[in-house]
Amino acid sequence: MDRSFWLGPLLLLLFALSAQASEVILISGGPAVRSFEKFKSNSHDKYWGNFIDSALQRVKDLQKEGKNKDKVVWLVFRPSYLSRGREDGQDYLKILEERGALVGAQPIYFDNKNQLLLLLRRDGSIEKPKISRLEYFGHSNKKCWMFDYSNRIDGGALEPLVLHVDDLSQISSSSFTPDAECISYGCHSGEEFSQRWRMIVGRPMIGAVGKTDYSDGGMPKITEGKGGTWVY
Amino acid sequence: MGLLISILTPLLLLPSVSLAPPLSLRTDVDPSSTSSPIDPSEKPSSTTSLEDESELEVRRPTAEKVKRATLPAAHTPAKHGDTSGESWIAQRTMVEDYCGWGWVKKDKESWRQARWVALEGTPRTCPLPHTFLPRPVDDKNYQYRFFGTLAPYRAYEPQADMWVDVFILKGFMSLGPAKEEIRRPPPAQASSGVNRYADRAPNLLRP
Repeated sequence: MDRSFWLGPLLLLLFALSAQASEVILISGGPAVRSFEKFKSNSHDKYWGNFIDSALQRVKDLQKEGKNKDKVVWLVFRPSYLSRGREDGQDYLKILEERGALVGAQPIYFDNKNQLLLLLRRDGSIEKPKISRLEYFGHSNKKCWMFDYSNRIDGGALEPLVLHVDDLSQISSSSFTPDAECISYGCHSGEEFSQRWRMIVGRPMIGAVGKTDYSDGGMPKITEGKGGTWVY
Repeated sequence: MGLLISILTPLLLLPSVSLAPPLSLRTDVDPSSTSSPIDPSEKPSSTTSLEDESELEVRRPTAEKVKRATLPAAHTPAKHGDTSGESWIAQRTMVEDYCGWGWVKKDKESWRQARWVALEGTPRTCPLPHTFLPRPVDDKNYQYRFFGTLAPYRAYEPQADMWVDVFILKGFMSLGPAKEEIRRPPPAQASSGVNRYADRAPNLLRP
């Protein structure tokens, strides 16, 4: 049989595989509990779903833009929603799953840093496609993503539930496509985390200098009047 | 000379008289009656009523006692959760914009050897003590006996970029207000090394 007979479909299959071989990762950190925060002058997370609504708004925006056909994978830090739900007498996991279903996003839960690092470990295979875009919605300072801020510990986060700049060496640049875009919508990420990410992970990351504000719903903005900006 | 002796003698004797131990109180009871056997039907003697008075003195509300009783922290339970096993002395200390609950030490240690800890409650066994109070600040400078262990993991303090110890609380006993505030600052050394990347100016995004 003629070899060219097989070559066509094989090339088509390879093209299809390469076209599907990357994913968009959206990460939602968890809210604080009100019992720790409600008496503070600078109180966080009056609304439990800041990092859920913003991530789902981003899913909608990506669908509208239509540029990126990659599958959207939505990673959600579960323990904080369970504890905030216990405090408020609500099943927030059920609510966020329902909200995700409205835009076609199903949450994949992680419970600690190690699970997240495992989910970000990619080799480009069909099971573990490379990451073409990564965006983070949650609490952070200039050195750390805190999935668990003021939830189990008042005003802080437990060590296994944060991603510190010292942990970035555990994320491989080979998990990302060469043109991957990364954005952190947490506070102060642009002051150091972004630069360390670029140096260690090898991809530029857009981050905020100053605080970000989720209080208007939807996508976060730089807090007004404090000279903040987005940098990479 | 005689005049001098007559002046100096009272002056020398006066301090010795005034510094002498007080004389025992006189009682109205006839000494002869003390030797007679006590009739159980008799009313309590005058010495018992004196004891009552001293007890009254102890129980009399002073300004300090009233202040202690009306402190919101007085509403924390005297004992809560699992109060068996190893215990620590803990003093609630609040430092503005710093993560953590306060200081803990072993019984024999001084407060200089105390550790700054973040406190983690045990679900369904023991919540944090301040959850019994109207506000978290209400037990400031209050002491407890804590039952529990130091966690194998640490907590991240975001303002100082520090790692602090975590105490897992299984039970506690209230010890009342501390005699004095601990003014020692919590640890403040950065967790990661010098930021060599900070020299690199971030690239501003042009709109």
